[in-house]
Amino acid sequence: MGEKKDVWQGTLALMVLKTLQAMGPLHGYGIARRIEQTSGDLLIVNYGTLYPALLKLEQEGYISSEWGVSDNNRKAKYYKLTRAGRKQLNKEERDWEQTTAILARFLAPGEERS
Amino acid sequence: MIGRRIRALLVRVARRFQRSDRERDFSAEMESHLAMHIEDNLRAGMSQEQARREAMMKLGGMEQTKESYRDRSGLPLLETFLRDLRFAFRMLRKNLCFTFVVVFTLAVGIGANTAIFSVLESQLWRPLPFPDSERLVDAHTVLRDNHRQWDVMPNSVYLAWAAQNHQFSSLGAYNYPANRNLAAGGTSERVFVMQLTASVFRTLDVPVERGRNFLPEEEKTGADHVAILSNALWRTRFASDPDIIGKPIRIDGESYVVVGIAPARLRFEFIPEPAIYVPIAMAPPAKLGRGLYVIGRLAAGATAENARLELDGILQRQMQAEGVKSEDVAAVTNLRVTWTQGSARSLYFFAGAILLVLLIACVNNAGLLLARGLARSREFALRATLGASRATLIRQSLAESLLLAFAGGGAGTLLGLWASGAFAAFWSEDALPRNTDTYLDIRVLLFVLGLSIFSSLLMGVLPALFSSRVDVNETLRKGASGLSAGHGQHRTRNLLIAVEVSLALVLLFGAGLFLSSFLREQQAPRGFDAPGALTFRINLRGTKYAQPDQQRLYYRSLTDEIRGLPGVQDVTFGSSIPLSGSGLFNTVAVAGRPLPNKHGTSVFVYAVGPRFFEVLQMRLLAGRNVDSSDSATSPRVAILNRNAVHTLFGSEDPLGKILDFVADERRDVPAEAPVQIVGVAENTQEFGPIETPFDTIYVPFSQHPDSAVNFVVSSNLPRGALVGAIRSAVHSLDKNQVLFDIKTVDQLIGDSMRGSRFNLILVACLAAVALALVSVGIFGTVAYFVQQRTQEFGIRVALGATPVRILRNAISRALFAGALGLLFGVGTSLALGRILGSSLYLVPYEHTGMLYGVSIYDPVSMAAACILLLAVLVLASFIPARRAMRVDPMAALRYE
Repeated sequence: MGEKKDVWQGTLALMVLKTLQAMGPLHGYGIARRIEQTSGDLLIVNYGTLYPALLKLEQEGYISSEWGVSDNNRKAKYYKLTRAGRKQLNKEERDWEQTTAILARFLAPGEERS
Repeated sequence: MIGRRIRALLVRVARRFQRSDRERDFSAEMESHLAMHIEDNLRAGMSQEQARREAMMKLGGMEQTKESYRDRSGLPLLETFLRDLRFAFRMLRKNLCFTFVVVFTLAVGIGANTAIFSVLESQLWRPLPFPDSERLVDAHTVLRDNHRQWDVMPNSVYLAWAAQNHQFSSLGAYNYPANRNLAAGGTSERVFVMQLTASVFRTLDVPVERGRNFLPEEEKTGADHVAILSNALWRTRFASDPDIIGKPIRIDGESYVVVGIAPARLRFEFIPEPAIYVPIAMAPPAKLGRGLYVIGRLAAGATAENARLELDGILQRQMQAEGVKSEDVAAVTNLRVTWTQGSARSLYFFAGAILLVLLIACVNNAGLLLARGLARSREFALRATLGASRATLIRQSLAESLLLAFAGGGAGTLLGLWASGAFAAFWSEDALPRNTDTYLDIRVLLFVLGLSIFSSLLMGVLPALFSSRVDVNETLRKGASGLSAGHGQHRTRNLLIAVEVSLALVLLFGAGLFLSSFLREQQAPRGFDAPGALTFRINLRGTKYAQPDQQRLYYRSLTDEIRGLPGVQDVTFGSSIPLSGSGLFNTVAVAGRPLPNKHGTSVFVYAVGPRFFEVLQMRLLAGRNVDSSDSATSPRVAILNRNAVHTLFGSEDPLGKILDFVADERRDVPAEAPVQIVGVAENTQEFGPIETPFDTIYVPFSQHPDSAVNFVVSSNLPRGALVGAIRSAVHSLDKNQVLFDIKTVDQLIGDSMRGSRFNLILVACLAAVALALVSVGIFGTVAYFVQQRTQEFGIRVALGATPVRILRNAISRALFAGALGLLFGVGTSLALGRILGSSLYLVPYEHTGMLYGVSIYDPVSMAAACILLLAVLVLASFIPARRAMRVDPMAALRYE
């Protein structure tokens, strides 16, 4: 419970939003699996932490949820992006790219600048 | 982002009310999650058992997930807080008696504070009912060497100010509303009429609603017979008749044309609300009795100080131009403050005293909570062993006192609502500066809220700290019977007693001061008496009575008429009577001597009819009385009161000396023929006991006729019959004349003491409440102490201790604490007296003092307060301590 988690939650939220953009409406388990796969199994997601993050996004109005039926005919709660969520995703993507670009410049090996 | 956060917060708050739905929903989601995961795992080739285990592990624990989900979905802090409150509520309900005592005590304290706060709000702080009213100021002149004393404002100064200033967006002048006779539609009544300049409506930013404002040319003698009606008068007296505009009404027998109706929202609050407005005749200068009041609206960017500098410059130039040596400087003060500061002191004083009562109530409740915490220490210990942290225990204790404080605050608000109405009704109208409604507005409610939180902390923190510091082992091992307070606890309770006693002593001493001040006022020599006599006032105005001869004739005839009524024993009249405060000032000087100052000596002048001194039983110290042999043509004479003799002659014999009436151009008072002093009378009270003595002279009415007089009639008739008979006598002479201010002399005396009586009752009530609280507090403490030590007392008795010894043992600590509190209270009282002393006393000409003739260090009041408090202390501790004396050793030991 410290700053680490906040950072993690921040990126987790971005991953959730991106996943929903790419995959369309999806249930919690699906989102978790997808994030794991996308990260090339480098990231071990504790599935439990996903749900409070989903709830937070929902409370903020970026995603909405609805009970539906899965491929295997199982009842599941589906999450999907709202319009606000899409806007937020664009914004966060830009921010993230900017951040990584800045960091990349710092970390790039000794490039002289005049 | 912020918007999203707020949205989330709202959702969370809303969600906590559908918790069970949400929990079920999430359980279902978890189930479906696990089912899907297990299915996948099975497909990947795991065994059922393995698949399940892996899914659970991946999830990171079912309960933890649910817990963090729950935290996110609701508001954990709010949840805990509500849980604490619910718990506290249950605990308080279980102990209704305790709860009632605490809540009741608080309700009294908070209620009284709510009431006084609403009075302060409505009287002192609430802006006047004009747009942007804080920019309104009062401009006046004060004596250069005594800034407290206002001087009379001549017309010429106002006109110069109005013409030359730049710091005001508008400046207006008015005279204090006067009681005048309105005749319209066949009936006549007394109404307040206010003379003002047309600019007053502009200055206040309350334009005339119907019709028009006064025109500049109407502010001249002769052209000034136009009137604007107040909305209330228009509605009640003229039935909202829109055609009244342009019609005439009669004021004091003279005809005025109605030109406009003032809007309903025009209320002055700080002066009697006028029913009719008439123009002030500014030029050529009319006779000015009491001077003008000038109000202004500061221009944008102007400050009161800049405005004052500007007006002062204009004032000095004007005085120089008129060739008058200026003794005045200009003053510019906020209009609201100007009219309220006179009462502010006493209102704040009472607010302070009432706050003391709340403090005592809180200290008392702290003692009760402390004892209760102790009785529950086993419960606390148990909860501590079960994992409650100290913070949790403190939080729960505070939740309890918060709940108590809010219950007290709620009950107190209701009590305060009632009390503020009672206050305002009880407080005589003339003691309160503004004619406003007291009501509970949002500021008052916020104040109550703040007060409740403040009290809950005040009474809750100490007990919470103590009861949370439990020694788990010790407490649980001792068991129920072994519960006894540690030394720290008793010390704290005794400390609370000391604090309470000292606060109560301050209030009791204050009550003692007010009581002895009141008694002194009652016994103060009034200089006159006429038990059972009736007084009333008549004011002849209008052309019919403009000449002195007409006034003389009317009043002589009326006196004869009344004297002839059956049952009337004696009758007299005078332009003023003691305590009526309706006299006029004039300026005199001893003939043939240089003036002590430029203007001579200001004296109160009574023009008295025959038998004035006899009917009012005023004492003549030397010389002769004014009687019917003094006529308009006989030598002019005067009687001085003792005070005037002292001022004008010192120890010289004044009889036979000549007094000049000095012309005073500033006040437009013409010189009058000199008078010879023929007598000396004892001083009388002019307004009430709380005043500086006035220099008064009595002259025969026949030589100084006036249009308005007060009659005094002594008779053995019942009041109603007498008033009826007098009224028909008055009407038989002239049916247009009205009696007003009908009062008995005893009422007059009672009214003059009304303010003091109110002060006394209020302070005495507060002291009584404080005394009651303190006795309950001490009773409780000693009773508790005795109960705790029953066993110990049993052993002592078994070992041969005498009952007296036991008694001493039981009450010595509480009494010691009480005595310490007394000592501390004496110190506090004296220190407070040092700070407040000067402001509690009369300031000459301000009439703001509250105490009369008693020292702020009055030893008698102090001793009485100490003895009373000590007696209560002994009694309140003795009654519960008797139980200790009667302890049966066998029973006490078996109690184990």
